[in-house]
Amino acid sequence: MNENILETKDLHYIYADGAVALKGISIGIKKGKCTAVLGANGAGKSTMFLNFNGIYRPSSGQVLFNGKPIDYSRKGLKELRRKIGMVFQDPDNQLFSASVFQDISFGVVNMKLPEKECRRRVDNAMEQIGITHLRDKPTHSLSFGQKKRVAIAGVLAMEPEVLVLDEPTAGLDPIGVSELMKMLRQIQTTLGITVVISTHDIDIVPLYCDYVFVMYHGMMVLEGTPKQVFTQKETIRDINLRLPRIGHLMEILKYKDDFDLDDSINTISEARIALKDWKARYLKR
Amino acid sequence: MISIDKYAYNSRLRRRDPMQKLVFAMMTLSVCIWAEKIIISIAVIFIMGGMTVLKGGTLFPFFLRLLLVPMIFLLVGVFTIAVNICENQEMLLWAIPFAGKWIGFSDASLVKSLKLFLRALGAVSCLYFLSLNTPMVDLLAAFRRLGMPKVFVELMELVYRFIFSLMETADTIYNAQNCRLGYSSLCSSYRSLAIMASMLFIKSYKQSKALYTALEARGYEGEINVLEEAYESHWGWYIMAVAVNALLVLFVIALKSITGGLS
Repeated sequence: MNENILETKDLHYIYADGAVALKGISIGIKKGKCTAVLGANGAGKSTMFLNFNGIYRPSSGQVLFNGKPIDYSRKGLKELRRKIGMVFQDPDNQLFSASVFQDISFGVVNMKLPEKECRRRVDNAMEQIGITHLRDKPTHSLSFGQKKRVAIAGVLAMEPEVLVLDEPTAGLDPIGVSELMKMLRQIQTTLGITVVISTHDIDIVPLYCDYVFVMYHGMMVLEGTPKQVFTQKETIRDINLRLPRIGHLMEILKYKDDFDLDDSINTISEARIALKDWKARYLKR
Repeated sequence: MISIDKYAYNSRLRRRDPMQKLVFAMMTLSVCIWAEKIIISIAVIFIMGGMTVLKGGTLFPFFLRLLLVPMIFLLVGVFTIAVNICENQEMLLWAIPFAGKWIGFSDASLVKSLKLFLRALGAVSCLYFLSLNTPMVDLLAAFRRLGMPKVFVELMELVYRFIFSLMETADTIYNAQNCRLGYSSLCSSYRSLAIMASMLFIKSYKQSKALYTALEARGYEGEINVLEEAYESHWGWYIMAVAVNALLVLFVIALKSITGGLS
């Protein structure tokens, strides 16, 4: 059984002005998981995402959805975009309506469902995202974080199989980031939707993501679970990224200060367990 | 947020069917223009002002301030009508000599300009009633129901949505320029303003492309279709609109028959 819901095979993408954005990307995104694509600015994350739902067509190579190559006919694309929901980085570029309610309803109405079902889905999406209170507000009076949520609700209302978010945490305050990521995690686990995010916010990756791809200059340089990826310290640093703060701390404690600790730890909770364990061992001695 | 917009969203009449508000405002506007009576114009201003302030919840001082805006233009315009040039000083109430003739006001011209002034103000108050109690989104829904071409309604919707975005961008650019002394002299002000205008154009163009991509990702096929809101709607409002205007019309007819169709 193929558990990859989205796959690319040797995907190349060259822009009209000759800029090569993707140089042979072959990845598989697992169904029902939360996958992160890490990469510095200009690594090609957004370009790859736009290849996922057929906004861009690969210059060469293939994108497969549920094991089948994408059908670029009008009907095929419509079906694909219903199933792969895309949330863009700047919500001001996505929200076209001055009414929150109407904006969220746009995608659903395009699916030509009966009106009652449309209303149910819009209400549902607003509830899941926690923005029911914004329903009657005009779009331009919302804060950036609220706009972001409305943009996500507009896509979620279409009940996609995959939710692709381009830099969902960029520009949010710390509480906003953790709330958003928790919400995405909840959507992923309760609704079984596959979540794909691009980010350069390293610290959220070990906390909320099951699998990571690391991109650099249009190429995929690393992949694996966060634990596996962040043990490749040299590569991570070579491509203008860094370790999660906790991972960095554990590395310093182990190699500079001779603590007997596991340096593949990247989250606060894991570090706490490891330090408690270390203390117990120390006291016993 | 522009304050008219804010009042419209917070109006207690906001949930009322926009079609009903549109019909009421337009009917009263037509009667006000048709009647050409000072008393009717004043009545319309009071009806619309009263509805907006008492029913809609707009603050009275704000409504007055809004009325002041067209008043300034109107005063200037009406002044030219009130002023007469005459050879005979007796025709005028008050006059000054000018190049062998007399410039001044006659009582007929004063009445005429007062009438025009109040009529215009009455019409404006009808429009204020509409715009202070009906958010643009709802008004567009009414236009759609009236069968206005979709392209126009969609354009109006997008323009309205992105006016705020454009203003925000302009504001940011202005501040950034001002911080670097872009407006310290007249010459640099002109230059900064020109740069800002071209930057706004480029940014708008880019944003429109990004918006198109985002719309496409949600299944855009050339038409923006959305769900309509549910509004409070009952016939009472239409009956009220017709009754108020019928009363005004009857009053005008009575007035005209008393004065024998004169004035």
